[in-house]
Amino acid sequence: MDWISQHRLEIFALALIAGGVWWLMPRPARLPKFVGLLMAICGAGLLAGRLHAAAGPKAQSLLFFAFAAAAILSTILMITNRNPVYSALWFAMATLSVCGLFLMQYAPFLAAATVIVYAGAIVVTFVFVIMLAQQSGATIYDQRPRQPLLAIVFAILLLAALLSTLQTSSAVDFQFANRHLAAVAVEPNSLSRPPADQYGTMLALGRSLFGDYLFAVELGGTLLLVATIGAIAIAPRRRGGSL
Amino acid sequence: MMGDLESYLAVGAVLFVLGAIGFFTRRNLIVMVLSAEMMLHGVSLTLVTFGRLHASLEGQAFTIFILTVAACEAGLALALVLALYQRSKSLDVEFWTELREPDLPPPMLVDDAGQMPMVTPPARFPRLTPAGRVPENLDTGDRELVDDAASQTADVPTEPPQPKEVIKSVSH
Repeated sequence: MDWISQHRLEIFALALIAGGVWWLMPRPARLPKFVGLLMAICGAGLLAGRLHAAAGPKAQSLLFFAFAAAAILSTILMITNRNPVYSALWFAMATLSVCGLFLMQYAPFLAAATVIVYAGAIVVTFVFVIMLAQQSGATIYDQRPRQPLLAIVFAILLLAALLSTLQTSSAVDFQFANRHLAAVAVEPNSLSRPPADQYGTMLALGRSLFGDYLFAVELGGTLLLVATIGAIAIAPRRRGGSL
Repeated sequence: MMGDLESYLAVGAVLFVLGAIGFFTRRNLIVMVLSAEMMLHGVSLTLVTFGRLHASLEGQAFTIFILTVAACEAGLALALVLALYQRSKSLDVEFWTELREPDLPPPMLVDDAGQMPMVTPPARFPRLTPAGRVPENLDTGDRELVDDAASQTADVPTEPPQPKEVIKSVSH
């Protein structure tokens, strides 16, 4: 009880987010969308403010909050939209926001690859499949989610557990983990630990990929080949050979 | 305390949980696959953050492999979705609740299953084109059937269909 009374505001913010997602869930009777959006935005803002109050001033980065808010809101809109085409487009938006977060974490190659693979290829494939499979517009199964209340309650509980673990973990834990790693006699994957001025450059990442993970890269290529063959074999075709 | 890294981890956790909500609640197969990809995004963000925490590039390398696997997964999942669509003519996942072990209880279906008609594939019975004269002595039931058949095939051209070109199969 003591813990709950100490974290009233965080719990309230999580409940606001849950209520917003619940409100936005597709249902036959149209509720005004902006109420749910407002609830989710207020909850996310309150949560960010609470978590941010404990953070140092150095973490105050406007870009981070912009990208994080865009990613979270796009994801909420993706899972609640009743039209799968809009869901795919919101997914592309969320992917772009996540790529912004990657960029801020010194991962430019990863951001570019994610944009190309996800927003470029996967979303286009999704839209094509929607075009092939669902041509009749709104359907009943897009308007009735299954067990939304149970799913949202348990997922928000999971989120609360994750966030409270994050909040109670301290920098001391992280430093301890680092020292423990440094104390290991044989440094594992030495090519993946570049000097500080090379962190995040293409050179360092290429060395890591084609040095430490060379066999994994080859395996990944084989996996792609096998998946391509499998997808072609699974995809249904008509008598004449066309899809 | 929350620092810079922890806020990234929090965003990753939020993305993962939202993807999980979408995966559990939505019934459209395509949106379910999209939600699974969203969960992968959350995990990728977490991995990159942990890599930065340890000043190693292992997190980024791992995320590149996640990207590879996600591409494979998307291709295979979409091929499966198309194959399932060919069978049920619908993207509703509830058509496939029968795919479970026989001794398991039935899954929890939609809340309002009582008030909405349970989704069933539309019955498509073959209809014959009415041909010849309508017999004189029909009772009312048969007359309705004939009229119904005539109205169903009203837009069908009356001339006999031309034989289609035989497409030569290219199979060996």
